[in-house]
Amino acid sequence: MRDGAYDFEDLPLADVDPGSSILLAGSPHSGARTLALRMLAGTADEGTIVVTTNRRAGRLAGDCERAGIEMETERTAIIDCVGGEDPDLSARVMPVSGPSDLTGIGMRFSDVNRSFQRAGVEGVRTGICSLSTLLSFGELQPVSRFVHTLVGRIDSVDGLGVFLIDPSMHDDRTISTLSQFCTGRIDVRETEGGAELRARGLPEQSREWAAFDPTLR
Amino acid sequence: MILCVDPDPAALAATRDALADAGYDIATAGTLADARDVLDESDGVTLDALVTEYELPEGTGLDIVRAVREHAPDAACVLFTSTPVESIDTAAFGDVVADYLTKEEVDAREELCDVLEQTLAFRSQTAYPLPDDEDARLAALGRYARDPVALDGSLDRLTEIATALFDLDAAAVGLVDAHEQRFLSCHGVSMGTIDREETVCTYAMLDDDVTVIEDVAADARFEANEGLRALGIAFYASASLVTPDGQTIGTFCVYDDEPRSFDARERELLALLADEAMEQLDLRRRLDDDGGEHDA
Repeated sequence: MRDGAYDFEDLPLADVDPGSSILLAGSPHSGARTLALRMLAGTADEGTIVVTTNRRAGRLAGDCERAGIEMETERTAIIDCVGGEDPDLSARVMPVSGPSDLTGIGMRFSDVNRSFQRAGVEGVRTGICSLSTLLSFGELQPVSRFVHTLVGRIDSVDGLGVFLIDPSMHDDRTISTLSQFCTGRIDVRETEGGAELRARGLPEQSREWAAFDPTLR
Repeated sequence: MILCVDPDPAALAATRDALADAGYDIATAGTLADARDVLDESDGVTLDALVTEYELPEGTGLDIVRAVREHAPDAACVLFTSTPVESIDTAAFGDVVADYLTKEEVDAREELCDVLEQTLAFRSQTAYPLPDDEDARLAALGRYARDPVALDGSLDRLTEIATALFDLDAAAVGLVDAHEQRFLSCHGVSMGTIDREETVCTYAMLDDDVTVIEDVAADARFEANEGLRALGIAFYASASLVTPDGQTIGTFCVYDDEPRSFDARERELLALLADEAMEQLDLRRRLDDDGGEHDA
């Protein structure tokens, strides 16, 4: 379990309470995916679990490292819905049959999350990249149950959840239903001046749009 | 009630005892067929959770999870198993969603009790969002319509007026319980009790204002909902039934078999009908409360 809040290095975001889940809404070119990965980068005593639905584990692992996530089997896991041969990665890779297998994703999350807790990890950051792929392979109702269950597990272990979604792929009611399971929401947009984010429903956050750097190291 | 399924009698007894000590009512089964019998015979008892081994004679725990999702969709389902997670074949069960907990750790049953306590307290395996203050809402709901017959047609008059007023097929007044919606009045449609995850009102009651869904089949939340199609609900509008202390206990809803629009004035009138229905329910509650005091 965990004492303090989750902080975000070099991002215009205030600390977030343990047990929170955030819907992160932005189109693929807005920098939302990079933001998701950077939000998952914690300190050396935290763990990270990333569910990849549309990028191979090898490529995701590279992006994670460039976002500042350290890859160690004891505290970093990739739940891989894509498959394919990847070179040996230093993260624990857990293959799932595909992005329609919500049950398989959820069970692997429970198992690896628990093993991290047992290993003494102080707080686990979990990212789903992305819900849009899960929704394109499944119906809203099972995806809703999956998100609700995951949010509940994340809350119970004082974790942090980041659920990436591309709002241009779904109607407003889908987005609003999924956001109702989460503690709050962060929107990302592209402007002429660069990428910006704005938080809603999370305590202590600015209500204004704020610029952030959407590139990986 | 919690259903525990394990083919190993010693393990089943240990799990049963741990959960019974934690204060739960338990039913047990050793096979898939026994588990199905428990589900079939559990009428009137709410199944709160399923705890099942994976490897079973003639099937797997996931077969039971699927059966439970049909029988009591909100139930918390946990695979509590000796099988490692990577050996569980979930491919054909991707949409059922269940938690996983290994049975192999020494404190596994303690951990199971923690998982169940958390999942049941927050109802976190429902497929729909819950109001923020669901427990207070259910407590408020318990004070209303304890004797629907006593309403004596007052709501039936309102639903009949609604269908004529808006020139629609049907209208209903429904209360949203913990796991189901039940109807106090239906005009132009016949509905029994419906699982909460299958009804539009489950989502509508989270809206502050009148909810209008002009084309139900085009809404991602309901496009796969065969029950609504079978009832001929292509258009839906509702206003919430809100108690004097601010709890939403149900809805006054109207339906049509074709998509249509619903203008601002119609929304206002629907809200008035909901207020009137709520007033009837509240008057009846106060009569019941007074009656109770006189009896005492």
